[in-house]
Amino acid sequence: MISTVARKEMKEMIRDGRFRWAGGIVLALLAGSLAMGWQHYREVNAQHELARRATREQWLHQGVKNPHSAAHYGVYAFKPKMPLSLVDQGVDPWVGVTAFLEAHKQNEFKYRPAQDSTAIQRFGELTGAAVLQLLIPLVIILLAFPAFAEERERGTLRQVLSLGVKPSQLGWGKALGIGWGVGLLVLPATLLGTLALALSAENGAFQSSLPRMAVMFVSYLLYFTAILAISLAVSARARSSRLALVGLIGFWIFNGLIAPRLAADLAKTVYRTPSAFEFARNIEMGLKNGVDGHDPADRRAEELRDAVLKKYNVTKVSDLPVAFQGISLQAGEEHGNQVFDHYYSQLWDTFRQQERVHQIASLAAPMLAVRSLSMALAGTDFAQHAHFARASEEYRRVIQRVMNTDIANNGKVADGPYLRDADLWKQVPDFDYRAPDLAWVLSRQSLSLALLTAWAAGSILLAWRATQRLRVD
Amino acid sequence: MLEAINLSKSYNGTVALDALNLKIEPGEIFCLLGANGAGKTTTINLFLNFIPPSSGTAKINQLDVVQHSLETKKFLAYIPEQVMLYRNLTGIENLEYFTSLAGERYTRDQLSGFLKEAGLPADAAEKRVGAYSKGMRQKVGIAIAIAKKAKALLLDEPTSGLDPKAANEFSELMKKMRDSGSAILVATHDLFRAKESGTRVGIMKHGRMVATLRTDEIGHADLERIYLEHMHD
Amino acid sequence: MLTQIVKHEWRNLRADRTLWAVAALLAVTIGFGIRNGSEWVRFQNDTLKAVAAEERERLAAVNSGIIDAQAGRTKPTSFTDPRSPSVVGRTLGARYASMPPAPLAALAIGQSDLYPYYFKVSTSTRQTFLNNDEIEHPVHLMSGRFDLAFVILYLYPLIILALSYNLLSAEKEAGTLAMTLSQPVGLPKLVLGKIALRFVFILLPGGVLSLAGAIGGGTNIAADGGGSRLLLWFGVVALYGAFWYALAAAVNAFGRGSSSNAIALAAFWLAFVLVIPSLLNVGVKYVHPVPSRVELIQAMREASREAAAQGSRLLASYYEDHPELAGDRTDAADFAALALANQEQVEKRIRPVLDRFDQQLDLQQRLVDRYRFLSPAVVAQAALFDIAGTSEHRYKHFLGLADRFHRDWRAHFYRQIVRNASLAPQDVDRFPEFHFEEEPWRAVAGRSEVGLVVLLFAVMVVGAVAAWLLRRYPVAA
Repeated sequence: MISTVARKEMKEMIRDGRFRWAGGIVLALLAGSLAMGWQHYREVNAQHELARRATREQWLHQGVKNPHSAAHYGVYAFKPKMPLSLVDQGVDPWVGVTAFLEAHKQNEFKYRPAQDSTAIQRFGELTGAAVLQLLIPLVIILLAFPAFAEERERGTLRQVLSLGVKPSQLGWGKALGIGWGVGLLVLPATLLGTLALALSAENGAFQSSLPRMAVMFVSYLLYFTAILAISLAVSARARSSRLALVGLIGFWIFNGLIAPRLAADLAKTVYRTPSAFEFARNIEMGLKNGVDGHDPADRRAEELRDAVLKKYNVTKVSDLPVAFQGISLQAGEEHGNQVFDHYYSQLWDTFRQQERVHQIASLAAPMLAVRSLSMALAGTDFAQHAHFARASEEYRRVIQRVMNTDIANNGKVADGPYLRDADLWKQVPDFDYRAPDLAWVLSRQSLSLALLTAWAAGSILLAWRATQRLRVD
Repeated sequence: MLEAINLSKSYNGTVALDALNLKIEPGEIFCLLGANGAGKTTTINLFLNFIPPSSGTAKINQLDVVQHSLETKKFLAYIPEQVMLYRNLTGIENLEYFTSLAGERYTRDQLSGFLKEAGLPADAAEKRVGAYSKGMRQKVGIAIAIAKKAKALLLDEPTSGLDPKAANEFSELMKKMRDSGSAILVATHDLFRAKESGTRVGIMKHGRMVATLRTDEIGHADLERIYLEHMHD
Repeated sequence: MLTQIVKHEWRNLRADRTLWAVAALLAVTIGFGIRNGSEWVRFQNDTLKAVAAEERERLAAVNSGIIDAQAGRTKPTSFTDPRSPSVVGRTLGARYASMPPAPLAALAIGQSDLYPYYFKVSTSTRQTFLNNDEIEHPVHLMSGRFDLAFVILYLYPLIILALSYNLLSAEKEAGTLAMTLSQPVGLPKLVLGKIALRFVFILLPGGVLSLAGAIGGGTNIAADGGGSRLLLWFGVVALYGAFWYALAAAVNAFGRGSSSNAIALAAFWLAFVLVIPSLLNVGVKYVHPVPSRVELIQAMREASREAAAQGSRLLASYYEDHPELAGDRTDAADFAALALANQEQVEKRIRPVLDRFDQQLDLQQRLVDRYRFLSPAVVAQAALFDIAGTSEHRYKHFLGLADRFHRDWRAHFYRQIVRNASLAPQDVDRFPEFHFEEEPWRAVAGRSEVGLVVLLFAVMVVGAVAAWLLRRYPVAA
């Protein structure tokens, strides 16, 4: 019974000019945006890879100089791109692409790609995620709103029901038929995307993307299910097909356009972030009360000096078996690190709380949940940006430690400046960044996943109840 | 005065009206009889310039309805099969609107007067039209015709769906308007009313006028017999 | 007669519950939008106040530091000496170049959340202070904010379409159209009357509400040409709305049913407001791709390495470029001068890379300007952002002023650095100061007026199509 209905739906759909047009356009947009995302991923990854090698080369071949000068010369960290970013660019256009790792400072990531664009990008980027989150639901709504309503108006609903077909069977049949239609659009694109990934991603990157891809597929499936079920429910109970359409379009607008912006404003109101000025000021104040490697007149420097003198049991700095400068530089770094950690973790905690507001807001709009999941799985959400920022900061500290330890141990030279060469630079390992695994991502997205599942389950229940109380005329 | 000269209309090769020649003088009620799709409504739509003719002319008071579209509407009144009015407005408000579009400004009292003349009781005039029966709505349509002092009336199936009393009231109003000098074209199935109040009748079949008769020359039974003869085949 | 139609239309619509629901929605969204815009303006103003206060404090500290050092009460090192022009010019005395929010900035957040609105200018290279991004969760930047411009660009057309999609089709389906058209009233005039009512009903209260909200939110609309800005803003909103009304009229004039009209108009909305702008965005970036910032960094590193390698040769060529400074040389001064020469060399090297960025972006912008007629939403967005003073035009203007200030600042300190001069307390008052001037109104107005003309043209074209179609409107069946 259900399959009969489904098959009739499928046949009708294929013959419907509207579906062919709308579906064709959406398929073209989806394929096009995936292609562009793929090209962008390859381009940026190649660029960043090149730049990573270059910065390493520059570090190794920076010549002969004092290790502290080398620390100031520093290296650049370049944010890597994950293969699945071809589907969802996430926040990548809105965060900096590179950070300068130097002594005494934890620098922000600079050069947001969005700043190198015109204002029309504020209308929205055309990514696979945009098509999947906005346009496909619209197609689902257009296919589903007449499901019961139009049959009712044409009079065929009475006829079908008089044959003894149960409303729920009708509902399932229609759901399957429409789902098949949507599948016609999404599956080819998914296959193309997977193929592109397999061809372009380097060894290991593709394999590690597969589980993420699977979860992403499930997430979008849940999302589409929720939209489909809601549309069928509305169609079953609305007084006319026109009312069903207007109501569903209103829901689509709220879900896709209004809710994200409302969630942003809500999050900002509930959890306030400091201004950049305030933040910098706080760090500056924190640092001032700390050890300044360049300024021996500092109080804390005196305490340190006394402690070190006592440790080595001497009375004068010049009697120390180690170079005091190295020790004080490292102490300064460590104090600075404390300050940075304190304020940065505060800031990132606030960001995480704001994200939580977005996730909770998905109770009103499923799009927020799927958006959050999609970005996280594509590796383009803020959490993974922060993960990279954290890792590059750790690497910066490694550099400082190596340099300062060397100065401390070997820096006591009789005359002239203490110089080192590539033998020391080589001791700093190459920056090897490991992106977080799926478990890490999912642990942070548990709320989104739960709410999305709740939406799917709840709307199926709603649709079932609506078909039970199907309005026949 | 209503005049059709070789008036024709076809849609994609299908002929809806074939070279109609008709002249309705003031003080005359002309009834168009025929089956559904015979061309009665098409004729009325052509006079209203709701559809353009494929060939020929329709004239009201010597003016071509296509070239003088707005002018000709000044002195004609149209009462469709279902007089549809603005549901949320009262009878008087609807009358006020349509007459003001016609270029006339009347006071409340005058408007009530027209409605009374058309047979609509005063308390009904103040109620929202959404609650009116078909007969009541029709009376508003007639009131519009009276207020416009329309010299040409176009009526489409006016008595269908009316009970005998309402139909009779309507007939009387028609005669009143005829006597005040209007030319009236009525498309109808109602043979009885046609003989009763019409001056002449025309029988239409497949877009052509196949017969024209004067009602004072035939009896009721004759009319039915002639009608069925033409409809045969 | 037009007034009759408008009055009648009002009586009709008044009883319709949809109208009031829509009006309430509009009011709520306008209020909320203006609130958010005002919040952002307040945030910026507060930050700028704090920034100015910090600068005052710091300069006062420099002043007292100079006095103390001169009196021998403190013995600062060469890296922290407030008497050293190179130290003061580079860190201790750095001054801010600030751009306060424009008069109507509360109405459209625009691009102002993406670009810096103040810089800490010092003798260091531009690159060191240019990337002064405000702290904001990137997801908020991605989704955009709920401001008045959002309401106008996205929701206002929807509201118009919700009220006008069945302009004629409703009457035709109800049967009243035949009654009306059997009166001597032309269809175009009827449609015009219906539109006029809706136009006024939405625009007037909407406009008043926006104005009230803006003033209530603290916007001083009387300041610097705020009045003419408001007029232009209103003009854009009116013409943008007129376009959607004309479109609704044209779609109705085809004679299809209300449901078909609704779907057709929804498709147009989708195309003009979502799809075409993002396609345009993609196209423009494809035709004129901006070079990668990574390339810029590489260029900077290479340039500074080469400059360092050149050493004293660099110094010699620096004095060739600045002969007026060659006369007062000393050794310590030479060290500082070497650093400056280094900087100058690096900047010269990366100039072509930076120029290519600006060039490509400029080409992108020009392409967008040329093709913006493809969507009235793109035209309206550009005009609204520009009028509100939150577009990249104002930012570029600010950048130009900041650059000029940077050059003045450097010139002021370089002279003293190479002479190894020592700063005196009264010198602090003579430091160059930044003053922000708005772009000349003619420039802003000129750009917006082009937008208005394009919108007007679009309205006329669609209106003409509507009028032509109405002439062939199938009144019967």
